Amino acid sequence: MAPKSSAADKEKLIDDDDVLQAVILADSFNKRFKPLTTRKPRCLLPICNASLLDWTFESLALAGVQEIFVVCRSHADLVKAAIRDSKWSKPSSGIKIVPIVTAKGTFSPGDAMRDIYTHGIITSDFVLVTGDLVSNVRIDEVVKVHKERRKTNKDAIMTMVVKESGAKHRTRSRGESSVFVLDAETSECLHYEPVTGYPPTTHTRVPREILTAHPELEIRNDLIDCSIDVCSVEVPSLFQDNFDYSDIRKDFVHGVLTSDLLQKNIYCYVAKEGYAARVKDTRSYDSISKDILSRWTFPLVPDDNHPGGHVYEYVRGNKYISKDNTVTLSRTCTVGNNTLIGSFTQVCNNAQISSSVIGQRCMIGADTIIRNAYIFDDTIIGPNCVIEHSIIGAGVNIKEKSRVEKGCLVGDGVIIGPQAVLLPFERLSKRRAKDIDEEDDSDEDDDEDEDDGDEDEEDEEEDEDEEEDRNDEDEDSEVEEVEANQDKSVLASLGEGSNAIVWPRATLEEDEDIDPAEAPDNQRLMRIGDNASDLDLSDIGSVTSSEDESETSDDEDEGSVPNFGALVSSSSSSLPLSPSTGLAASADARLESEFKHEVELSLERAFAEGHSVDNAAVELKTLRMASNVPLIRVREAVVGAIVERINIVEGGGPAQRKEITNVVARWGTLINQIGGVDAVETVSVLQAHCATSERMPLFGQILAALYQDDVVEEDDIRQWHALPVSKGIGLKPGTTTDNIKKCWSVGTHMIAQFNEQSDDEESE
Amino acid sequence: MASELNNPSQRLVENLASKLRRRQVVGSRQAALETVLVLRQVVSKARFSKFEQLVEIIRSAGRRLVEAQPKEHSVGNTVRKVLHHIREEYHTATKGRASASTRNAFSISKFVLQGQPRKQNVLTKTDEKGTIKENDPDDPDSFARGLKPVLMEAIQDVLDELETVYDNVSKNARDHIHSDEIILTIGKSKTVEAFLKSAAHHRNYTVIVAETGPSYSGHEMAQSLSSAGISTFLVPDSSIYALMSRVNKVILGAHAVLANGGMFAITGSLLAATAARAHSTPVVVCAGQFKLTPLWNLYHEYGALDFADPSNVLGFEEGGLVDKVDVINPYYDYVHPELVDAFITNDGDHPPSSIYRLIKETYDDEDHDL
Repeated sequence: MAPKSSAADKEKLIDDDDVLQAVILADSFNKRFKPLTTRKPRCLLPICNASLLDWTFESLALAGVQEIFVVCRSHADLVKAAIRDSKWSKPSSGIKIVPIVTAKGTFSPGDAMRDIYTHGIITSDFVLVTGDLVSNVRIDEVVKVHKERRKTNKDAIMTMVVKESGAKHRTRSRGESSVFVLDAETSECLHYEPVTGYPPTTHTRVPREILTAHPELEIRNDLIDCSIDVCSVEVPSLFQDNFDYSDIRKDFVHGVLTSDLLQKNIYCYVAKEGYAARVKDTRSYDSISKDILSRWTFPLVPDDNHPGGHVYEYVRGNKYISKDNTVTLSRTCTVGNNTLIGSFTQVCNNAQISSSVIGQRCMIGADTIIRNAYIFDDTIIGPNCVIEHSIIGAGVNIKEKSRVEKGCLVGDGVIIGPQAVLLPFERLSKRRAKDIDEEDDSDEDDDEDEDDGDEDEEDEEEDEDEEEDRNDEDEDSEVEEVEANQDKSVLASLGEGSNAIVWPRATLEEDEDIDPAEAPDNQRLMRIGDNASDLDLSDIGSVTSSEDESETSDDEDEGSVPNFGALVSSSSSSLPLSPSTGLAASADARLESEFKHEVELSLERAFAEGHSVDNAAVELKTLRMASNVPLIRVREAVVGAIVERINIVEGGGPAQRKEITNVVARWGTLINQIGGVDAVETVSVLQAHCATSERMPLFGQILAALYQDDVVEEDDIRQWHALPVSKGIGLKPGTTTDNIKKCWSVGTHMIAQFNEQSDDEESE
Repeated sequence: MASELNNPSQRLVENLASKLRRRQVVGSRQAALETVLVLRQVVSKARFSKFEQLVEIIRSAGRRLVEAQPKEHSVGNTVRKVLHHIREEYHTATKGRASASTRNAFSISKFVLQGQPRKQNVLTKTDEKGTIKENDPDDPDSFARGLKPVLMEAIQDVLDELETVYDNVSKNARDHIHSDEIILTIGKSKTVEAFLKSAAHHRNYTVIVAETGPSYSGHEMAQSLSSAGISTFLVPDSSIYALMSRVNKVILGAHAVLANGGMFAITGSLLAATAARAHSTPVVVCAGQFKLTPLWNLYHEYGALDFADPSNVLGFEEGGLVDKVDVINPYYDYVHPELVDAFITNDGDHPPSSIYRLIKETYDDEDHDL
């Protein structure tokens, strides 16, 4: 009876009031947490013993959100079950949560937004967050500001919440951040540029129009992008219209800001108070856990408002021990600062735990050392183990005398040891062989309800991938492939009786065209425990001291780091260029050669099919726009093509002159129609081309022909002649230079003729 | 119980519980007021045929609220107070029958209590005597119907007391503050603010307000006092000791007054109280009765109870430091009873040593554990 009436009440409330809606994208669309996420989605991974989704719900509840749509893709049934069983779906929570399962073909946040559009659920301004948000920012304030702004400016479609932090803040991702250009007064976001950590982005380009239109600008590289967006109703429809938008920031924000057609504005809200961050990767998992434990998220802290509903007692030194008197701490064990210990956990004699999170029902053996590690529920760590800077999944059994070095990720249900040694950054998951699976079922079933029904082979899929459509079989095949490629010697080090498989380390595949943010080297900046000291991250003008001198770089990854330093030093003699400029230059060079080829093809077609000069010019312009090359390249290409067009007539003489005149008369005007008239440059380009071509002897005649056709004037030739470069000054000696000098002397000869002519005229 | 969990009043309870947990309701008086209002709803909607049922209903609601925010002691205190008043009313309403069994129990612990005149006895509703009958098989609601108006009145009493608490605390202000005195205070306590303003009507005196970092609520306090025409100085916390020799009296607010006469008060109170002790300056604490808590300090000895986020101490934008420094920002200090000279409450002035008696009078022993 009662619940029904309450639901009715709520309906009424919703009708009366403007309901604040929120959309949670509960899928991460990448695989940075592999293999922890093979069996459950990232949003159900626990952080400080409550699932990320719970933290997100709490953050939204704090803002008074009444209706939440959870867009889930992978492991959708798990997410749905988790929502159903959580306290949020009780009527007393005052929140209506609707899970939306999107198609398997949803591979990006953009696809998810299009899906939201097709569902037609959004009725007013809404809050868009990801399913891995930890925040205590007053989002309702942001919504208020946004709505206020909408009243005066209908084009303000989105407000992004950003949080000020230092550039070197632990919670600010080093691998993936962004530069915001804001109007200092209105905090309108004028320009957005994503920044990758490796190769380091050293330049950002601010469009000139922005500088002229706004008197005061803030260019900020010290903001944490909280990915809390207050969006207007038209945002999903914009995604629908622009079907190629996939990332909300890189595509949507960038697209909207650069588009001349949309005329929409995006604003930023620089949160002064409060905390907000996203668990984007294992590194931010680490830093956000630490932030929670050191109470930056207050009042969202374990002893106060734990989203999972656990009750912890706060002990001096930021230690949180479950309050229900079920934790057994040995008298001789040491619990260091910034540690959280879940209920029913047992810590044996002389164990040392510091800066770590231990889940519920765990068992920590005697003399074991745990530092900066995150251990999920029901895990058993044997005696004399060392675990550092790692994430250990649920139901893991690490037997005695094992070592887990920094950066390891151990998937759910893995058994390793005794005396296993994991190299740094090793990633383990459970072998999927049937018999082991069943064994483990019995172990896990008693406490892990979420995982039930997940043991099915069919259900096993990964929750993230950004490239082509991979269906279930592909997912399986990836795990199979991993299983097939096991290195026996590595497996041996995991100890007998281990059921683990080792995941391969990320390597750069040349042919793979991936997002620079997902490149393995950049990913290293997002990895727990990785200080990436072997990556060259310094940029011009700032000196970065190495963060941790004591930690040595791991040899394993060194091979995959391309050594840009050597490359640069060989190619440039004097100036120390930063690695990225070297890279950029090589990329540009490739682009230009491609463009040159295109122009040649296009001109060849024009010559062969006898296009009109105008048509050919239009085609060239389009090509130039498409490849975004400077004008001089086009000129070079056109002049080159025309010169090559001239057939060399044996014996020279009048026949040769006729040929030249023909070609130049037909095509010479094209040179000035490519988008700018600069005859001096034309002559220089002609000279440069002739100097390297077999048509060198024709230079004078071609120049004369151009002069005859008024493509170049007398003054232009004089100007060219006066340029030092034209004389071959400052060039290395060689045949090319000789040729250039010859050309110049031809020019000298011509100018002498001009002078004679003018003298004649004067004398007449 | 399950059926009661779903009714509208239960939703109110949950609602307040989540507000308390999210710190959307802060301040001990605010929390106490909200609690009374919710309890009034709970009682008015409650269905019961026996008094014990009603008590259980109130207790379960109270338990829920206290669990939601164990650090806001005034919530639990209010629940205890309401229970106490309701029992009073019940006993007077059914005088002679139900009360006989409980009242005649002789115990040493109640020795003092039984000698005290009961304030609420004045409110006796003699006309209702005899009409209220528990467990009436013919009409199970009759008991509730008969009792509810009385109960509502009892709750209204609690509410009135809360609403007038500042006036009542400050009504004797002029007896405590004399002309040309220099008073030191810390933080922004509404009770202290009302107390000082009320004294300003009669006396001409000077107040020194410490800034009270890291919240700097002293700024607000100084502003408010000086706009009321009191000569006010705002000083940094570090100069409290240096100034103490000139101070005649230290007046502090409290977050909760504990059974032993100690108290939780805003950070810096311990500093001020200790400095005052060194100079033998009297320390006076202004607190409403709803802050009396039948508990002891079970937390840390100094920094106590509640630890806020470090951002007031170390800005979040100091990225380089955040990783390397552990910052603790305790919100309250525990001031032990030896450092306090007097508590001024809306129920008169008391030394710390008699707080336990006040607590015994205010609450029923069986409610100490909700």
